[in-house]
Amino acid sequence: MTSSMPQPADRSADALAKQPPSTPAHRRQAHISTIGARAFLLEAPGDFDLPAQRRIWALARALGHWDDLGEIVPGMTNLLAIFKTTPEDPDAVTTRLLDAWERAESIDIKGKTIEIGVHYGGEHAIDLAELSNRSGLSAREVVRLHYEGTYTVFALGSAPGFGYLHGLDPRIHMPRKTVPSLNMARGCVTIGGMQTGVAVLTGPNGWNSIGFADLQMFDPTADVPAIMAPGDTVRFLPERIEL
Amino acid sequence: MSAVDFSDPATIAFLAAALQAAGVDGIEIEQSTRKVRIVVERDAPGAAPLVQTLQTSPGATQLEVVTAPMAGIFGANHPESPAPSSKPPRKVAAGETLGFIRIGSVLLPVKATQPGMLTGRVAKDGTVVGYGDPLFEIELRP
Amino acid sequence: MIEIVDTGPFNTIQDLGRPGYRNIGVTASGAMDPLALKIANLLVGNDEGDAAIEVQTFPFRLRFRETTVFAVTGGGNATLDGVALPPWWMQTAGAGQCLELRPSPASARAYIAFGGGVDVPPVMGSRSTSLRGAFGGIDGRFLKKDDTLRLGEPAGTLPADGLGAVPPAKALAEFFPNAPDGTLLIRALPAGEHDLFGADAERFWSQSWKISSQSDRTGYRLSGEPVRLPASVEMRSYGIVPGVVQVPPGGEPIVQMSDANTAGGYPKIAGVLEADLWRLGQARIGSRLHFVRSSHAEARALDRALADYVEDVRNTSQMVARALKTIAGR
Repeated sequence: MTSSMPQPADRSADALAKQPPSTPAHRRQAHISTIGARAFLLEAPGDFDLPAQRRIWALARALGHWDDLGEIVPGMTNLLAIFKTTPEDPDAVTTRLLDAWERAESIDIKGKTIEIGVHYGGEHAIDLAELSNRSGLSAREVVRLHYEGTYTVFALGSAPGFGYLHGLDPRIHMPRKTVPSLNMARGCVTIGGMQTGVAVLTGPNGWNSIGFADLQMFDPTADVPAIMAPGDTVRFLPERIEL
Repeated sequence: MSAVDFSDPATIAFLAAALQAAGVDGIEIEQSTRKVRIVVERDAPGAAPLVQTLQTSPGATQLEVVTAPMAGIFGANHPESPAPSSKPPRKVAAGETLGFIRIGSVLLPVKATQPGMLTGRVAKDGTVVGYGDPLFEIELRP
Repeated sequence: MIEIVDTGPFNTIQDLGRPGYRNIGVTASGAMDPLALKIANLLVGNDEGDAAIEVQTFPFRLRFRETTVFAVTGGGNATLDGVALPPWWMQTAGAGQCLELRPSPASARAYIAFGGGVDVPPVMGSRSTSLRGAFGGIDGRFLKKDDTLRLGEPAGTLPADGLGAVPPAKALAEFFPNAPDGTLLIRALPAGEHDLFGADAERFWSQSWKISSQSDRTGYRLSGEPVRLPASVEMRSYGIVPGVVQVPPGGEPIVQMSDANTAGGYPKIAGVLEADLWRLGQARIGSRLHFVRSSHAEARALDRALADYVEDVRNTSQMVARALKTIAGR
């Protein structure tokens, strides 16, 4: 097994249309499930969008005051709450979490703005041609749509300091690859489904690369190891376009 | 004073009963040419006592008794290796682990104090032993 | 100071890991069998979470450059200069002595703790090697031949003749049973998408799964009769913890382990109880396991049994050391 398992996420809209009613987009209430005996996952109902994510941030902030929690991991319109010890009554935990969710007001984190210079095209843009084909847009148009976007860091995860960026123009959404690239370089600017991001590790990667950014996103020895934080705004600056 | 005859079963039985009544596990009696050890079963009153006659006459082999380093439950084998280690008599080296004393979840080793021939095991597996109780005998060859 | 004389790939420095950073994408890492790591540390008088060596490829050999108290727990058959050590054992090695570990049939991973612990710089609160992040341990990499490791300051005196712990498989046998044929019984609770698997969910619990060769510290791929979702499900990336059992489209589950990613997107069918993760961490490639539906009540009982055992080893080993010192001083 490789050190990184491709994890598909965020299927296309048509996969969504065939969903059974028990998935987030079709729910009206938040849903709680468990992973093991100590971790509880709350999934927000409704669409995968910024308002839902803002409420997840608010929930994360509220749960930060719970002494019995060891770790709070916000995901994509969901949140994993890991308790320090096994709760005695899981139903009581579910009730507490749902109450906290109901009380969580959407918050708008006033994050910082991060500007990332990108070399679009070139040797690292291994999937630009395929994205151009799929979208029916020229490579130049694909690149323009990417750098004209304003993105919000939804959450960090998957690899140290990796930010899932929301706000990608729907014309350049592209599903993740079924067979990941085995050795994608750190710094590749990538698209996975409706999200974009910058690879922080060299290794297997299922997202589609359209360029390269020479920026260290993570430093384990720094006081704040990750450059990005949820709620930050990210802009990509086209330093060079090589088509 | 004439020597007590330890080959007489009545004498042994009398001594064993006295030991049991006193709550003592065993006794060693040394005479001019030999040593006798009587061990009674604490958990099985009325069972025949173990009697060992140990030669101590000059020129004969010397016997080293390995005792319990601490009170606990004795076992000749590690709890995770049910196969018994080779039975006595067998040669042992100084420092070789002969058995274990279990205290709660902790195990203390019982080690050979001298090299020689392990000739006997005095304590039974699973018995509670006290500090200094005899566990093994090693014959020291001159 | 110790010196690595011989090692296979994949052996690393580990402690109890660096939980608390999943929200920035940092894997917790840490020992695959945290129970064995804790006991090894307690036997040498360390704090239970000090850094030790996790050995998962054998043979492994190291040399002591000075008199050193060490303990070997978990799997592996250990010898010191050719003399076998009992399992789960602490002993003092002299300068120049060589410790060798060979594989044992029952357990996959051995832990070697040293008085004072392995002294590598902590990164984000832990000395665990993060292979994925390339930091922690020795520059985030596997140990290699000729590496030298500095040790911390050992705590007080320990019994000169050595000391051991009753292995948890024995001491806690009633809480952690195996099937009569040796199949590992792993307690788990249904996870988020469990019910969407319909009839296949029952097959997940009823069959025994084999741990495939594509298994490592990141996770175990299981082989058996595939279980599949009747319809595809929209998944949004969610935070994961070791023990989550995910089902990729092929239908053969993956159990995420210590070096797991922090987020996942596969449907999850179950989550292994935290109290059973140490046993999973000792499961060997090719062995079989059976998932058993559990409850929070059972999880708490197992947590308590583990905590009691660790406390007993901690308190009794200290008491024994003090008593032996008193006896020796008489």
